[in-house]
Amino acid sequence: MFRFLHNHYHALIQGLIRIRANWIGSVMMFLVIGITLSLPTTGFLLIQNASQISNKIQYEAELSIFLDKEIKAEQVDFLHSALKKNSLVKKIHFEPKLVAWEKLQAQLNLSSIEDGVSKNPLPDAFFISLNTLETKKIDSFVSDLKALEGIEEIVLDGGWVKKLRSILYLIKIGIVILGCLLITVLVVVITNTVRLQTLTYQNEIEVSRLIGATNAFIQRPFEYTGLIYGLGGGLVTLGILKIILVSFNLVADRVENLIGGNITLNTFSVEQSIFIIIIAMFAGWIASYIAAKQAIHKLEKNY
Amino acid sequence: MIKFTNVYKRYPGEMDVLQDISLAINAGELVFVTGSSGAGKSTLLKLISAVEKPTSGTIFFENQNLSYLKKNEMPFLRRKFGMIFQDHKLLYDRTCFDNVLLPLAINDSDPSDIGRRVRAALNKVGLLEKEKLMPITLSGGEQQRLAIARAIVSRPSVLIADEPTANLDRGYADEIMNIFYSFQQVGVTVIISSHEIPPTKMKYKELHISKGSLNNVPLLT
Repeated sequence: MFRFLHNHYHALIQGLIRIRANWIGSVMMFLVIGITLSLPTTGFLLIQNASQISNKIQYEAELSIFLDKEIKAEQVDFLHSALKKNSLVKKIHFEPKLVAWEKLQAQLNLSSIEDGVSKNPLPDAFFISLNTLETKKIDSFVSDLKALEGIEEIVLDGGWVKKLRSILYLIKIGIVILGCLLITVLVVVITNTVRLQTLTYQNEIEVSRLIGATNAFIQRPFEYTGLIYGLGGGLVTLGILKIILVSFNLVADRVENLIGGNITLNTFSVEQSIFIIIIAMFAGWIASYIAAKQAIHKLEKNY
Repeated sequence: MIKFTNVYKRYPGEMDVLQDISLAINAGELVFVTGSSGAGKSTLLKLISAVEKPTSGTIFFENQNLSYLKKNEMPFLRRKFGMIFQDHKLLYDRTCFDNVLLPLAINDSDPSDIGRRVRAALNKVGLLEKEKLMPITLSGGEQQRLAIARAIVSRPSVLIADEPTANLDRGYADEIMNIFYSFQQVGVTVIISSHEIPPTKMKYKELHISKGSLNNVPLLT
């Protein structure tokens, strides 16, 4: 176990030496990885913040069921009990037309005679909350209700929140696809860089092979180089995100004072930050693995 | 220890570099592989050290048929040989110490013992005081001695040297040859390729190659 760790330590040191030997190229590589990864991560951060705002909006599907103005009391009772029995219904509130009319008058501070309204224009209404957000179930429930006698109109409330969430979800998927494409680009770029590095170290690879090194031994320092590229790139990504957040929030603070409300952005959690670094390191590792493997394969062909 | 039977080696698009080679090398022997440039000396050494595989024929090393060796087993076999190349093949971005350390790192040697063994090998070739220097600062003879230190550090049972004195003047060449003789005297099999046999009082075997074929020369004393 100690020898195994020592071997890896040795490879890590070799990886660090190679990075130091070409430190300008290495810094450029950190920047390339950092900037490339910052594109999807910034998008993800924005979506995450937008999702958090949309999640704060209490949302449940609500139906406003407006009844016929001429509906009889027995029919209202029948509808009330029918709604109560339905498993989709979570809460029911019945608003008699007289109460609604009084509330409206109080709100608008008007009297019917003065304003030329001689008759209560409002119908009796049920306001119900459903315990599902599934469109199919809601649509079927609404069409069942519409078939009942005494119901004039049914309005589904709160749909816009659902639409917003759907749009955010779609954008999230778009960003994941973009992220995957950019990571592929990163892998190609790192592979090319490490491939050039293998040319520099061709002598070392050749000597190592001749004196009995396994492919894993030869590849290991290159893999550590790729991991370090990924680590550096991941840290650059987090740095860029920090700069973007601080700059945005500075401006947002001023705007908040003018318009009110909270529009400042929250940063990624520690777990998410670690995840970004792991993704970058994985891209670095896989790229260097491919490059080193190719280099050894080429050399094997020469013998 | 090493046995060739009807070995042929052909590179793609070329004639046979080696033809019908049959030979036997016993443990502890000093063997000179001689011949002119392009005769096939280096190819023979590459076949012995399993760097290359024969096109046909069989090669046995310690009763193991190298033709049947799997690709992933080759590195472990090569570790049994100490290889010295004409162009040294040193790593010029590492110190002398780190160059000699490489085989031990490859061999997965005990880390606590590595320093001592590297210094012992450097001491053996008279380069202990230069362990921190870069190889580029050494003379040609010293570089070849460093290559020998790298070859012997993992205590191989066979030392294979491909024209180790080709680019050295007489003084340095004698020094290098004396190092090889000293290893042979302690039981190491030493195989050296050279255009001609250097003057020596040692008992040796000559394998003379001409145009890819072997002309056995009787053992001299």
